[in-house]
Amino acid sequence: MKSIHKHSGDSSIRTARRKDFLLFMLPSLIALMLVLAIPLAYSLITSFFDTNLKYQGLGEFRGLQNYIEVLKDTYFTESVLTTLKFTVCVVVLEFVVGLVIALLLNNIYKARNFFFTIIIVPMMITPIAVGLIWRLLLHSDLGIVNYLLSLIGISGKAWLADSSLALGTVMFIDIWQNVPYMVLVILAGLVTLPTEPYEAAAIDGASRTQSFFRLTVPMMMPTFSVVLLLRSITALKTYDLIFVLTRGGPGTTTEVISYHIYQQAFRYLEIGKASAMSYLLLLLIVPIAFLFIRISRSRTT
Amino acid sequence: MYKRQTKLEKVLTYIALTVIMLFFLLPLLWILRTSLITKVEAYKIPPNWMASLTFDNYISIFKDNTFGQYFFNSFFIALASTVVSVLLGAMSAYWIVRCARRSDRMKLAILVTQMIPPVVMVIPLSLIVKGLGLDDSYIALIVAYLSFNLPYVIWMLFSHYESIPRELDDACAVDGCTRAQTYFKVVLPLVMPGIMSTAVYSFIVSWNEFMFALNMTGLKTRTLPVAIASLDTQQGVMIAELCAATIVAILPVIFLSIFIKKYLVQGLTFGSVK
Repeated sequence: MKSIHKHSGDSSIRTARRKDFLLFMLPSLIALMLVLAIPLAYSLITSFFDTNLKYQGLGEFRGLQNYIEVLKDTYFTESVLTTLKFTVCVVVLEFVVGLVIALLLNNIYKARNFFFTIIIVPMMITPIAVGLIWRLLLHSDLGIVNYLLSLIGISGKAWLADSSLALGTVMFIDIWQNVPYMVLVILAGLVTLPTEPYEAAAIDGASRTQSFFRLTVPMMMPTFSVVLLLRSITALKTYDLIFVLTRGGPGTTTEVISYHIYQQAFRYLEIGKASAMSYLLLLLIVPIAFLFIRISRSRTT
Repeated sequence: MYKRQTKLEKVLTYIALTVIMLFFLLPLLWILRTSLITKVEAYKIPPNWMASLTFDNYISIFKDNTFGQYFFNSFFIALASTVVSVLLGAMSAYWIVRCARRSDRMKLAILVTQMIPPVVMVIPLSLIVKGLGLDDSYIALIVAYLSFNLPYVIWMLFSHYESIPRELDDACAVDGCTRAQTYFKVVLPLVMPGIMSTAVYSFIVSWNEFMFALNMTGLKTRTLPVAIASLDTQQGVMIAELCAATIVAILPVIFLSIFIKKYLVQGLTFGSVK
């Protein structure tokens, strides 16, 4: 082909383009195939088989049986409910607290950078370290928290070992780590708001509450939806914090989906079922991801 | 909101912010303090507020517990995965923005990968790694980290390339540059700041990663998050040493995050908030 069209400019452009494609795109495409496409396909296939690490190969073909069993499994459905409860609570609380802190920071000029720099630190730390830090602080006998509470006459609690407190404690720690994320992004949105509408509203005699709900909220809506959706996605994936804090316990009170799937795969070695659960988790995330993509697209174009 | 505030309001705002700041700061300071006192003092409740400071715990984790090795493992794996992602991703992002026919769809596909939970990836990846006999090797984790680093780098660099006028590329082409020459000599230097901040962020994410590392590393290649998580369960809780190890694991990240503070918002929202 190449020799026939030797003199045609069109073809030399095409060969150049092909060469460029090989140089610019091929290495990435191979890598993405290797680390994303193949593993995802492998998971999808095993989700239809009785794959188990106890024996070699894929095992027996089961069709949709894995999915049916998983959906009937109350341990799995409970972990879904725990995850949803966790996600809704932490996202809402983190958003409200983060918004308040961001509004406070937006109100000051002096030392704003100082406060801001310190407040965003927890967000950058690995959740493993965050979990360990709070485990030490909340230790029922050796922890500083129970000691300080005892000073003001409150008797200490087994924050992570008491099944009625554990999930709430985990949520609290998650909030400590992720409120900074909300502060960071919401403040970035607040500082870019135009001042004119506020001046006009002030002249018209609007109260501060009025200008917050009539001006700030509508103008900040795109940022709000981005943080809420993104944070929901990351909260649905929570694993590390549960691993260090409670290992899903006491009982299964803090067992979120990711932890449940991990156990199914690497403790009970049932890869087929774990893969089916993985795909059900993906189904849960897809609508949120889809919403996020629609919003972020309409913003960038 | 932009109305003049009363003096009282100002004072109250500063007081509230100080309390909030302490809420985020004090836990970390307490861990720092515990890492700097002796093992015996660390167990004392009520705490001895006048305990003398020592670096013994730091010396001990590096001498007895090979934390130096874990620190190196974390550093090497995060750096290698970041470098590979940037080398591959920077060029692909450019191609997708400038040359690809269906760039919209490709962008979408790249973004979708960022939403996949790690637990979904870790099962097949670890089976493949074990099948190839690569467990407890650096290469396994470096390649596994590409599954989130590479799409992240590509996605983040789209907007940086888009901010460079296409006319610049065209002018180079008119001057007889090939696509590769245009890219390396003209475009690449212009997006360098974007590449650097993306790389630092991707390094932090790799440094902090836990689930893949838990599953694919052994004694030799263990990273810091896995090491501190196992220090916690090994021989009871060694409070003082655990605190020292935690400080070692989080200090580099705090330092780096201050360094890229300006770019954090973009990095954390996939560029959807600027």
